[in-house]
Amino acid sequence: MNYFPDEVIEHVFDFVTSHKDRHSISLVCKSWFKIERYSRQNVFIGNCYAINPERLLRRFPCFKSLTLKGKPHFADFNLVPHGWGGFVQPWIEALARSRVGLEELRLKRMVVTDESLELLSRSFVNFKSLVLVSCEGFSTDGLASIASNCRHLQDLDLQENEIDDHRGQWLSCFPETYTSLVTLNFACLEGETNLVALERLVARSPNLRSLKLNRAVPLDALARLMACAPQIVDLGVGSYEDEQDSESCLKLQAAIRKCTSLRSLSGFLEAAPHCLSAFHPVCHNLTSLNLSYAAEIHGSHLIKLIEHCKKLQRIGDKGLEVVASTCKELQELRVFPTDLQGGGNTAVTEDGLVAISAGCPKLHSILYFCQQMTNAALITVAKNCPNFIRFRLCILEPHKPDHVTSQPLDEGFGAIVQACKNLKRLSVSGLLTDQVFLYIGMYATELEMLSIAFAGDTDKGMLYVLNGCKKMRKLEIRDSPFGDAALLADVNKYETMRSLWMSSCEVTLGGCKRLARKAPWLNVEIINENDNNRMEENGYEGRQKVDKLYLYRTVVGTRVDAPPFVWIL
Amino acid sequence: MEKDGLGLEITELRLGLPGTEKMMKKRGFTEMIMASSGSNSDQCESGVVSSGGDVGKVSESPVAKSQVVGWPPVCSYRRKNSCKEVSTTKVGLGYVKVSMDGVPYLRKMDLGSSQGYDDLAFALDKLFGFHGIGVALKDGDNCEYVTIYEDKDGDWMLAGDVPWGMFIESCKRLRIMKRSDATGFGLQPRGVDE
Repeated sequence: MNYFPDEVIEHVFDFVTSHKDRHSISLVCKSWFKIERYSRQNVFIGNCYAINPERLLRRFPCFKSLTLKGKPHFADFNLVPHGWGGFVQPWIEALARSRVGLEELRLKRMVVTDESLELLSRSFVNFKSLVLVSCEGFSTDGLASIASNCRHLQDLDLQENEIDDHRGQWLSCFPETYTSLVTLNFACLEGETNLVALERLVARSPNLRSLKLNRAVPLDALARLMACAPQIVDLGVGSYEDEQDSESCLKLQAAIRKCTSLRSLSGFLEAAPHCLSAFHPVCHNLTSLNLSYAAEIHGSHLIKLIEHCKKLQRIGDKGLEVVASTCKELQELRVFPTDLQGGGNTAVTEDGLVAISAGCPKLHSILYFCQQMTNAALITVAKNCPNFIRFRLCILEPHKPDHVTSQPLDEGFGAIVQACKNLKRLSVSGLLTDQVFLYIGMYATELEMLSIAFAGDTDKGMLYVLNGCKKMRKLEIRDSPFGDAALLADVNKYETMRSLWMSSCEVTLGGCKRLARKAPWLNVEIINENDNNRMEENGYEGRQKVDKLYLYRTVVGTRVDAPPFVWIL
Repeated sequence: MEKDGLGLEITELRLGLPGTEKMMKKRGFTEMIMASSGSNSDQCESGVVSSGGDVGKVSESPVAKSQVVGWPPVCSYRRKNSCKEVSTTKVGLGYVKVSMDGVPYLRKMDLGSSQGYDDLAFALDKLFGFHGIGVALKDGDNCEYVTIYEDKDGDWMLAGDVPWGMFIESCKRLRIMKRSDATGFGLQPRGVDE
């Protein structure tokens, strides 16, 4: 097999970057396994408890970039209590002790402390990129360490984290000699920003491509920043509220005009709507527009903005008819509910979805919250857009049927999975029987992630999915009547999956215990916050329902950092 | 399993060994509301409650506005930042909206231009042309109105408790409310027994 010296093979491997492909080549033979091991640059760990740092380092001693994910997805919706886990500290400690030349760390849903950030900043001389998504546990003091100590930092990207803002001077901690900034995203910080420090930082960062500001950066400061950074490609506008200051608006417009490389726009956390017009000159170049946080921007202003954006590929809000008619390049769409009470005539319906599917043939990812849906609409959508990779539909009211026929939405979702042969991620909602899961099991051959809520009738539903979807990686289920029979039917299936979440279902403690016995390579966690529900050891456990079950495959056994309300069987 | 009522059986106290009740099947949505004690503290509420077995009908139960944890599935970060009232203003800086019960329009005032509660009282008086508000703030009794404010966390607080600096940092909007609307909330006139 090996007619080439290792260096040549290694060079060839350099062109193989996807994790799946690297994994495949490592399985070819011992020699390739070894070469791949030592040349692996990027490691992705989808569940931080599936493996530990020591084993990671043993297998891949030379990696430069690590991605770690902690809490299960439903933690985003407050279903996982505080303190569950996902601590990054042991990882950073282990990496710091080793000789890994870490350059990039990407964390999602993990607990990060200031101590961790300080250790990180001091331990890796060439550290370049820190990306934190939906993390918590740290403050701006941690950011100050990063700014002070990471001489070669290029990216500091904070997305939707809970950060304790001490309103300190973390921005001024970047040394005056520091000029290598490429990405700076602090949109999720709550407090005031040191504008002077920010302007000076931007002014001395010629490589700055992406800048996402927080609430506290006002209009005139924004104008000055844009004037310092005309090379910007990706801009997140913080807030510009004061419409009284039209002079600042003009200055902003002048500065924006010079930003000919601007392709992506987001933010507008609080925006004076008519200042949006400052962005009209660059709209025709935009490929990505995310207005999903812009609570203050109403229909007509949005429509004007969208009308200017012909090259849109990604967008995040209402005005769907306009989107459908003007954004022909649209690939990804997210429509969030502005009113979670589900009322009001500003809510979107199935008509919007159909319009989008008809007008945007390149659409492949959608997250759509709406009031109501029909099978007919979904069938039409499936016909119009057979290229969906991600289809997430959330009808706000659980168990809501087709509002015209009062039937379950089985046929509609069935049409989606049948038409979209590349579907990787699906979220279903509305009134659904076991039938929809039969369709999913039958047709969704590429499906990797499935989110189920308030759906199904019997264990058969879950079984259809477990038996049918060969590529399933993450299955998350809430408030659905699936129980022990489905859970235990094929224990080996879970070895092929990353994780399974079941909350408020019919699974019992006895069932979970049986599962844990049958599958010692699984961590079966019961999350039990309510003291009154303390799990009893004696005989009635067979019938005692488990509120939250989270199981995942692991090669390192039971984790040692579980809090008292997590019971690992 | 069709449930016509609220499924109140789940809340009944019974004598008997666990497991002697019939095995419950699919939980109706209503039952879940009753059983759920772990509602989160998000301000945004879920949609209308409907019983699990009802097809095509939306039944309003008395607990219609209860919260189901984590539904709809909008992440908490996004809930905090985008589903608030449109009237959210920057905290601690400049103008906040001021509403007064009985007045059909709101006003905006610059908190930063006041030096303390006394100043604020005076400014509020001027804003609405009403001479009682200042009194309400200052000593809290014998006045028709109370002044409350919405803080960063979305809670409504009585103005005057915290130091001025802390107040302007966290005040997002003001409301001048009729004292009669606030009775039962512990706002006793000082030194007077109810």
